[in-house]
Amino acid sequence: MRAWDQALQAVRSYFRDHDLYEALTPVRLPEVAIEPYIEPLRAGGHLLATSPELPMKQLLCAGAPDIFQIAPVHRASEHGRLHSEGFHLIEWYRRDADERAVRADVERLVDAVFVAFDRAPVSAWSCHGFLPLLEATTTVRLTGTEDAATLAAIVPSAWRVDVPEGMPSHAHDLYAWSALLTAWSDAALDPWLAEQAGGVHIVDYPAPLAALAQIGPGRARTGSYAHRFESYVGGIELANGYHELRDAPEQRRRFEAVAALREGHGLEPLPMPERFLQALPKLPACAGAALGFERLLMVATGAQCLSDIALHVD
Amino acid sequence: MDVSDLKKNAKLEIDGAPWVVTDFQFVKPGKGQGLYKCKIKNMLTGSVVDRTWRSGEKLKAANVESKKMQYLFNSGDAYTFMDNATYEQIEMPVDVVGDDKDFLLDNTECEVLFYNDRAVGLSLPSHIVMEVVECEPGVKGDTATNVTKAATVQTGRQIQVPLFIKQGESIKIDTRSGEYVERVNK
Repeated sequence: MRAWDQALQAVRSYFRDHDLYEALTPVRLPEVAIEPYIEPLRAGGHLLATSPELPMKQLLCAGAPDIFQIAPVHRASEHGRLHSEGFHLIEWYRRDADERAVRADVERLVDAVFVAFDRAPVSAWSCHGFLPLLEATTTVRLTGTEDAATLAAIVPSAWRVDVPEGMPSHAHDLYAWSALLTAWSDAALDPWLAEQAGGVHIVDYPAPLAALAQIGPGRARTGSYAHRFESYVGGIELANGYHELRDAPEQRRRFEAVAALREGHGLEPLPMPERFLQALPKLPACAGAALGFERLLMVATGAQCLSDIALHVD
Repeated sequence: MDVSDLKKNAKLEIDGAPWVVTDFQFVKPGKGQGLYKCKIKNMLTGSVVDRTWRSGEKLKAANVESKKMQYLFNSGDAYTFMDNATYEQIEMPVDVVGDDKDFLLDNTECEVLFYNDRAVGLSLPSHIVMEVVECEPGVKGDTATNVTKAATVQTGRQIQVPLFIKQGESIKIDTRSGEYVERVNK
């Protein structure tokens, strides 16, 4: 109880000190972002939020200032040391900012919670491009522009990036790159992350993994990458952030690709987030990130699994 | 069944054999496919292997069921068991019973495993008490040593027992190892 209270207070103080307003958005929604391999729970004809992303962006579209939320979210069939069907996301948005600003928030927020637990802040953060890190940990060299068939010809066959039969063609690249991410994580990235003493950001994602992020030149001001990052401490994935995409037709194409991926896997269709897509042209330039509250608490307290810090009684 | 229905003790049919998930771990990189890392045990042979499935893969649930049954008698080609609840009788082939036959006494309660309604496995109580029908005479005062002698029990099985055990006495046997546990005073 005390640990939760301390961490909640540290998170709220951090955002209030940086002039973000606390928001609360509904848990039960008519639509959620259609994302690969994230399955919403259904409740009374609605969906339980898998993240507060769409309603928070809709608040920004309606003129809200910088906002944060500690939101209860649900994802079906996720059970494990680092997964639970119900958890809390610390999610925040800064207007007139890009992903570097919210990445800096991740570092300071982690430190704020560590300090609340009398722990030394994370000593150093390093930042790695997705593709250079892939090459450094596996020798697999890619440009990020490979289509599914090219990818399958290049990467080890054990990575199983080959598109399964029945997968609609506009989901092929998304499937292959998602499979590559999974195989790389399992084979090399997770062991590498576990050895890093400081915090790690992975940036410059290949375009098929852009999700809801803008695409543009990478860190080196060259190429074309998703302005998305993931942050890790102690080998544990804590946060994910974007320089937010504001192009509604492009966002619709990406949702359609994920919907096709779901169809290829035989999953029930999800409603196209029409309300969100309609509001999207009014989204101000902004960046946002989501950080798993329970995982942050785990890392800060040295707990080994989510069940060690769970506040509910099963 | 979908791979997301996997959990510990889930029963799967793989290449025509029933397997049970004995260990289960879920990992998932952000927005990547989930990995379901399992240890699975073949319910017929007992062999254990590692298998990893990914999100979106489909599996076949194995039609297996375990019933408490009582051993009745052996007809030569098969062993007959009775369901204690329905009094239904089933026959289990000699090769399925295997070496477990040495620990089957009339009326022993066992778990019988059915796969597609066929009896495919037997699980005995972990210990069973049997009478020594033949052994060399007992030696008094030799209880402290590890010296043993062969004794034949009711089913014909030979068990290594301590020297003080006498013919006609009952002993407790571990059915998994076939080893003597202790003397039982009736």
